[in-house]
Amino acid sequence: MSGAAALSPALAALILFGVFFTLMFLRVPVAFALGLACLPVMFIEPRLSPMILFNETFKSYNSFILLAVPFFLLTANLMNVGGITDRLVRLSRDLVGHLPGGLAQVNVVLSIFFAGISGSSTADAASQGKIFIEAQVKEGYDLSFSVAITAVSAVLAVIIPPSILMIVWGGTLSVSIGALFLAGILPGLLLGFVQMATVHVYAKLRNYPKYPRSTLREVFAALAVSVPALMTPVIIIGGKIFGWFTATESAAIAVLYAGTLSIFVYRELKGPGLHSALLDTGKLAAVALFCVGTASAFGWLLAYYQIPKALLAGVGSWGMGVTATGFFIAFCFLVVGCFLDAIPAIIIVGTILEPLARAVHMDPVHFAMIGIISLAFGLVTPPYGLCLMISCAIAKVRLMVVLKDVMIMLLPMLGVLALTIVFPEIILALPRLISPEFLK
Amino acid sequence: MRKLVDAYHRLLNIALVASVAVLIVPVGLQIFSRYTALIPSYIWTEEMARFFFIWMIMIGAMVGIREGTHFDVDLWPELKPRANALLRIVGNVFVLVFALVFLWYGIKFVEFGWHQSSELAELPMPFIFLAWPLAGLTWLVFLGERFLLDLRTLTGQPAA
Repeated sequence: MSGAAALSPALAALILFGVFFTLMFLRVPVAFALGLACLPVMFIEPRLSPMILFNETFKSYNSFILLAVPFFLLTANLMNVGGITDRLVRLSRDLVGHLPGGLAQVNVVLSIFFAGISGSSTADAASQGKIFIEAQVKEGYDLSFSVAITAVSAVLAVIIPPSILMIVWGGTLSVSIGALFLAGILPGLLLGFVQMATVHVYAKLRNYPKYPRSTLREVFAALAVSVPALMTPVIIIGGKIFGWFTATESAAIAVLYAGTLSIFVYRELKGPGLHSALLDTGKLAAVALFCVGTASAFGWLLAYYQIPKALLAGVGSWGMGVTATGFFIAFCFLVVGCFLDAIPAIIIVGTILEPLARAVHMDPVHFAMIGIISLAFGLVTPPYGLCLMISCAIAKVRLMVVLKDVMIMLLPMLGVLALTIVFPEIILALPRLISPEFLK
Repeated sequence: MRKLVDAYHRLLNIALVASVAVLIVPVGLQIFSRYTALIPSYIWTEEMARFFFIWMIMIGAMVGIREGTHFDVDLWPELKPRANALLRIVGNVFVLVFALVFLWYGIKFVEFGWHQSSELAELPMPFIFLAWPLAGLTWLVFLGERFLLDLRTLTGQPAA
């Protein structure tokens, strides 16, 4: 295909990436920078025209799979306005509030619960930023610590199922989404545990406060109230695994379930709350997904010139084994995650690296989880870390102020990532146990 | 003029809320009809959902330009208001180019789909493709307003 092309792959790559990075440096929004980078090539190459930009954006938006994105955002927003989040805060506090750094522990545990219901880290960061940052500072926690732990714990939402990233990955690279859901549980809980340990060390060193221990009775009362909410992950993940509904439908079920709970069980959903939940959902989902369209056009051009093949031509000859390849893949996604949102990164980079993983017979689910965990970390790494940006915006601090604490918290999490690379069983054990037919 | 843009912005917001709200209907119907015999399983539900979805994305992308919510990467140190305005003008010139491309080729895109209709529900495709040139046009309006504000900051006039 590229044999008769006017541009050589090297030149096309230079134009595409050159324009993209220059525009990004000029603070052009990423979605527009990706689209604009496609234009010169489309005008120069006689066989191409800007109509490809329209075809590719249309094709990527005309997708039933991506519909899960607004649904999961809406679920999260309904949880917040409908009183579900409040119940889960209460439960988390009764469970871990008595540990050193009580409120920060609650922050992490709530993220774990939240992650099991919503599949969106940005929604997690936005809602928990409002709940925790100010409250933590008032109780004497450092501001940078409070912002950092809120952002870092939000990352769990895309690692613990359900997850938008798993749905997009499964859809673009044809991996079983049910298997990915199961695969995310153990690494997600491990990461949550590591974060709690980090909070513990901080709290001991800086003498952060704790709450009085709740009585067993209080714990059970909070648990009883939260049971309907905690059923959500069971319904979503179970429904997906047993094939009752598709990934997108499971997200729609989550919306309907959260809505039903808010209206009939907790009875806190009112008109204005519903309106703002819908509006916020539309705005956030649209800007995130618009970028997916232009990223797809960009990715299409990369494939047209067979640039991925050229980029990886050297790598194949390094003779890496599964583990070394895993580290290489994690490294690529961590770097890309600094500059790109996770969904476009999956579309562009996931497809580039896939042959590499296949060449060393890495399990597709293992490959997917390494990619998803690495990209999830990208949500808190600057310059483009959405969760970090959202948390900073809520606290009204500049990103640089909280960077040190974020990096400290990321270190043990990178350790967990390394573990999952070296011991694939952490990822593969659960899918193998529950639904081996999903694995190859 | 300002009021007119404000009103248009509000209209887009209403359309956005509506598009998110109706999205759930076809998908809900689809699941419901599979497990009960109460309603027939409509063949067009999935297509319907995708069409609302496309409009939701495009409307949200239009509003995002006025509200400055499209994500960017900030590699600059904290800038003074005037330097910041200058940088934004430079960046927005490129967004303007993109808006013009969306408008110009978007019209061709609509013409291209003029006689097409969708596979299942037989909706005329121009209704869908129209979102692209409309986005281009809307961006032009919102960008124009932004340019005026930034030029005022740059020349030191108080924001009227």
